[in-house]
Amino acid sequence: MSADTTTPLSAGEIVGAYRRRTARRVLLVLLAALALCTTILIDIITGPADLSFLRTLHVIVDPSVATVKEEVIIWDLRMPVALMAVVVGAMLGVAGAEMQTILNNPLADPFTLGLSSAASFGAALAIVLGFSVIPNVGGLLVTVNAFVLSLFASLALFAFTRLRGVTPEAMILVGIAMLFTFNALLAFLQYGASELQLAQLIFWQLGSLARATWPKVGICVVVLLIVLPYFLSRSWALTALRMGEDKAAALGVNVSLLRLMVLAGVSLLSAVAVSFVGAIAFVGLVGPHIARIIVGEDQRGFLPLSALAGALILSGTSIASKAITPGIVYPIGMITSLIGIPFFVSLILSQRKRHWQ
Amino acid sequence: MTFMKNVSGFAGAIAATAITIAAAPNAHAEALTLTDIAGREVTLPEMPDKIILGEGRMMYSIAAITDGNPFEKIVGWKDDLILYDPDAFRKFEAAFPEDAARMINFGNPYAGDFSIEAVLEAEADLVLLDVGNLFKAEETGLIDKLDKAGVSVVFIDFRRNATENTVPSLLTLGRVLGEEDGALEFVDFYMAEMRRVTNVIDQIPAEEHPLVVIENAAGWQPDFCCWSFGPYNYGRFVELAGGKNYGSTLANAYSVDVSLEGIIEADPDHIIGTGANWAEAKPEVTATLLGYEGDPAVNAEKIKALASRSGFDELRAVKEGNYHSIYHQFYNSPYHFIAVQQIAKWLYPDDFADLDPQDTFDRMHAKFMPYENSGQFWLSVGTAGN
Repeated sequence: MSADTTTPLSAGEIVGAYRRRTARRVLLVLLAALALCTTILIDIITGPADLSFLRTLHVIVDPSVATVKEEVIIWDLRMPVALMAVVVGAMLGVAGAEMQTILNNPLADPFTLGLSSAASFGAALAIVLGFSVIPNVGGLLVTVNAFVLSLFASLALFAFTRLRGVTPEAMILVGIAMLFTFNALLAFLQYGASELQLAQLIFWQLGSLARATWPKVGICVVVLLIVLPYFLSRSWALTALRMGEDKAAALGVNVSLLRLMVLAGVSLLSAVAVSFVGAIAFVGLVGPHIARIIVGEDQRGFLPLSALAGALILSGTSIASKAITPGIVYPIGMITSLIGIPFFVSLILSQRKRHWQ
Repeated sequence: MTFMKNVSGFAGAIAATAITIAAAPNAHAEALTLTDIAGREVTLPEMPDKIILGEGRMMYSIAAITDGNPFEKIVGWKDDLILYDPDAFRKFEAAFPEDAARMINFGNPYAGDFSIEAVLEAEADLVLLDVGNLFKAEETGLIDKLDKAGVSVVFIDFRRNATENTVPSLLTLGRVLGEEDGALEFVDFYMAEMRRVTNVIDQIPAEEHPLVVIENAAGWQPDFCCWSFGPYNYGRFVELAGGKNYGSTLANAYSVDVSLEGIIEADPDHIIGTGANWAEAKPEVTATLLGYEGDPAVNAEKIKALASRSGFDELRAVKEGNYHSIYHQFYNSPYHFIAVQQIAKWLYPDDFADLDPQDTFDRMHAKFMPYENSGQFWLSVGTAGN
């Protein structure tokens, strides 16, 4: 991003350039946040029910004026979905960004490393066999199973890589092995599923925001508020890691400890996200790349912007999924890619230099 | 050459006819040619007497048209009846304990696959498949392979195009089972009972039809609303019963996923959820457990809970007592005229004051079924406890 110069710069010029870069980064993050506010608003004011813009705002600001119908539609149906899209998008964006960082691989995300497949398999266990990993959870069966299996996959990832020492290649390979293992197990269960179970499974595998509720949004926000500040506090170390493992170690970063801690955070983020909305590909992979193309590798800009890019993609998806046929619920997983790809491709084409080094 | 071929073909035909005539007295050796629901012409070299059912729920039809033991010619099935309608299975089990125990289980009907070896092991001569498995059976070469082994495949359908295909499917079943008379009798009953509704509905202008939302398997997924039907199956039942099916207004598909907000905005006159005794296979369902062992007291609680889900409780249909629940398995059985009658009665209580679907169902059992009617097959939230 910075201008290439061949003549040495004075100290004043360097400081000035740094300030400009910092200011630009802050501006970009603010712009993305503004765009996100706009999509959230659009998400809340659109839907099959015809409620006017001002009326909707009024009901949001002052719920007491709403009729019961308006209250149900806006507060129980639209707002949890709109906010769930944003929070889950941000979680997946952050998870993808840090996976790519610690594994030093542009293709890493919760989906490619098998965490989503593990969650899908957990859900399928509940849907098809009625098997509960943790007994007596009642209606939360599917969610709890997905969460536990996804965490289990992360733990397995931990364990394997501890055996060989934490090398990124080993983690990627183990992740891919798990992806295929869980997909195979999932196929087994699908083969035995009934018509209703299949419908439930497919909908779950393609991801859906339709199950969003306030408690779920709350849990996601809490998890994000725990993990994101930790990642931000380690942003110097993570930026150093992207320059190379040796350089980071030379700068005093405990690389293997950092990897483990970040992987723990990423696992928590993705397990919670996929257990509530199902498997959503693409967001965790492409959100960070969009951020990287725009602000570069410095985690202080890259991390917030990855979160915002993920949130924007999913929020846009939520709007689009309602607009196709009002009244019909489409699984969001099949729309995310369609929403994000045009933007992503145009960014790649406008950016001729290598953005992954 | 062509001429020669034709002549020899003709001579062959004469010879074949002669053989057929000669063999005619032995009815069981007579070939049976029929066109199945998939439009395939199937020739059965002789009357099959070892039949495998692609779905256990085909027994609903077979029992209705068979005079005597419906299991007589059946050697195996898939276990959907046991898993998803245990009430009906226990009815069969009680009436024909040895036969129910002897059924070979060929697994899950939705997997759409058959182990050809297992079919041959059972020495079957006919496999009855649901038309929904046609594509898969063609893709995997199942039909050709079974054909080579001398096992015929016949497709029937009581689900996909239920109202259109039920009569031809019954006739087909009647022919392959040698129960034509039983099939015709049931078809007569079916048509008469269907006409009792449609003859009245024909007089009601389409714009006066009330809006109905079908919630397929209400309570199967505790946290999601709603699966619905387009103009097929229960969606079609609603249309035949004089309702405007909400799912049909959105998409011309078999299955439609509708949003709760869309339902609230549409403000339907009636909401009808389907339910069956799934609790044995899936304890966490909150569905009404309708069927031969349906308990009115239990279901009254269940339907109350379904109607008071967030978002539902404020719907006009719910407040006016027009939240209903009906037996899910009517969707895959020739008894769906019962559903059509009951839905019509819900939509037009005055026009159908004389129609008593419970009586229809009881008469149907008395006349056609090997066991008596029992349990509960529908209820409304307003009249819960009836």
